[in-house]
Amino acid sequence: MRLVLTRDDRIGVLRDGGMVDVSDAFVDIRYRTAADRMPRVLATLRDRRPGIEEMVAGGETLPLPELQAPVPRPPKLIAAFGNYREGSDRERQTQDMFLESPDSVIGPNGTVVLPNHPASIFHHEAELALVVGQQAKDLPADDRALGALVGYTCAIDVSARGLGRIGPSRIGKSFDTFTPLGPAIVTIDEVPDPQDLHVTLAVNSEPRQDYSTRDMEYSVVEILAFISSYMTLVPGDVVMCGTNHQGLGALQDGDQVEMTIAGIGTLEMSVRDPQRREWPRGVDQDMAARQRAVGAS
Amino acid sequence: MRIATFDDTRIGVVANDDTVVDATDLVEQFEPLGPEDLLPDLITHFGDLRPELERRVTAGGGTPLQEVHLRSPLTRPSKIICLMGNYREGTDRPLQILDLFFKSPEKISGPGDTVILPPHQANIFHHEGEIAVVIGREAKDLNAEEAMDAVFGYVAYNDISARGLGRSGINSFLGKSFDTFAAFGPWIVTKDEIPDPQTLSITVDVNGERRQDYSTSDMERPVPELLTYISSVTTLHPGDVICCGTNHQGLGSMQDGDAVVTTVSGVGSFTLHVRDEHERAWQRGIDREAGERVKAAAQHPVAQAPVSGGSA
Repeated sequence: MRLVLTRDDRIGVLRDGGMVDVSDAFVDIRYRTAADRMPRVLATLRDRRPGIEEMVAGGETLPLPELQAPVPRPPKLIAAFGNYREGSDRERQTQDMFLESPDSVIGPNGTVVLPNHPASIFHHEAELALVVGQQAKDLPADDRALGALVGYTCAIDVSARGLGRIGPSRIGKSFDTFTPLGPAIVTIDEVPDPQDLHVTLAVNSEPRQDYSTRDMEYSVVEILAFISSYMTLVPGDVVMCGTNHQGLGALQDGDQVEMTIAGIGTLEMSVRDPQRREWPRGVDQDMAARQRAVGAS
Repeated sequence: MRIATFDDTRIGVVANDDTVVDATDLVEQFEPLGPEDLLPDLITHFGDLRPELERRVTAGGGTPLQEVHLRSPLTRPSKIICLMGNYREGTDRPLQILDLFFKSPEKISGPGDTVILPPHQANIFHHEGEIAVVIGREAKDLNAEEAMDAVFGYVAYNDISARGLGRSGINSFLGKSFDTFAAFGPWIVTKDEIPDPQTLSITVDVNGERRQDYSTSDMERPVPELLTYISSVTTLHPGDVICCGTNHQGLGSMQDGDAVVTTVSGVGSFTLHVRDEHERAWQRGIDREAGERVKAAAQHPVAQAPVSGGSA
């Protein structure tokens, strides 16, 4: 099942290029905003699923409306540090993750606004994102961990480089609008192997990133086991699995970005920079080489 | 005014005679979705609620503090934003570059609660006593003049920190995000009672022994500047918490059985207990090596820049 949230706050299931409105399945869930509604929806999705499927079977397919992020404001937004081998034969790096501002999320066809901060460059980072469906702590590093997920979606972890104090800037990933997310949450039963997904990202139709989740250093279940050994996961949390840095490039004013994970969906966004800064176009080869050297020395 | 969360997530005002006057019903009119909404709702509507809160305090009849169970005033903050080292600590260095990180807002500790040390192979678990700012309204791109308008109040905070985990070693930020590692108490003091947040004294005592003891006058960047910077990055919401960083001179280990008292003058004091199933032992007293390391790193900021992890 592919679950979406429309800009007018209807909950839908994708079908035949359109959507069936299943909002009625969730009328008993009290909420104030889409932000606090979706975690509650996702927490109960498994129980409501038979009813939703009936609704979809008997429902009318509507043209797909404009969407917002399927979790417009995750309770937590968690990101993995560089988690791909990227062609190196290094030992696995020490596992590490960090939190980003949950207020950085925007939806499909949203606009990333580059802030007036002196970043050395703004990069796109296409990533597989995990959406948590139940409270979880100390998950095992095997398939049981997947039971804590409701599904998968696409994320672009927009990253301002060269800000902040220490090493790789984390703060540069938390600006408002810096985490486009969506379009749909694809439930785990539709993804037979999360370690065999093809991720691509193009800027103005020029290919940039192109990699497989087979290349992850720490698998999805290892990521879930690791992060849940630190903190309790709650429904609606979004965990981004890291990117393959071979193929990163600059984002700048006017760019149109399209990211696809085969079997998961296509997420589009545009870029606005009130300062109209310019960087070289194309793949950032320096960045790519720097990443391959990590751990090799 | 002192705003407390107590007993089974009730909200109240702590009066000057140290009684707690219940105000939960006043907040319930806003139909909170869960107990985590009570405090943000009170903050959002504080201007309207204040006359009635004051009337109730004047009327008296509250419950003595010792008869209630104070909780963390913030049961589940929408964001916890922490400043990286933001004190001069006796150095004469130039201002460091501003930087911050986000801390997990799950499983917050409050007065009398127990911090659980995880089995992870940390070098040490440190206390970091701090002043934290509680945000009063939605805010983005605050300028220096209006920054303080976005403040609701202040709370004492302990930023418990596991060292040496993850990829960046001593600078591990995930080591600060274990469940129970964010501790707030004993209540929120509204900003009108703290005319100058840069003259507060902060102490941490472990088992009666003084560890941290410093003044917020030593902050590299004062509160308004922190707010201006943070709100240039991310939208702030009522109930978001900004932790202003610690002075590392006086850090020390936390271990099984410890009682840790965090005090901010003019705000209040709260005690944490520590449990470690593995009963690991570290040297007691102040960790002077950690203090010196922070001073040295700040004098030579380049020395701490390379991190083996590359970019995220």
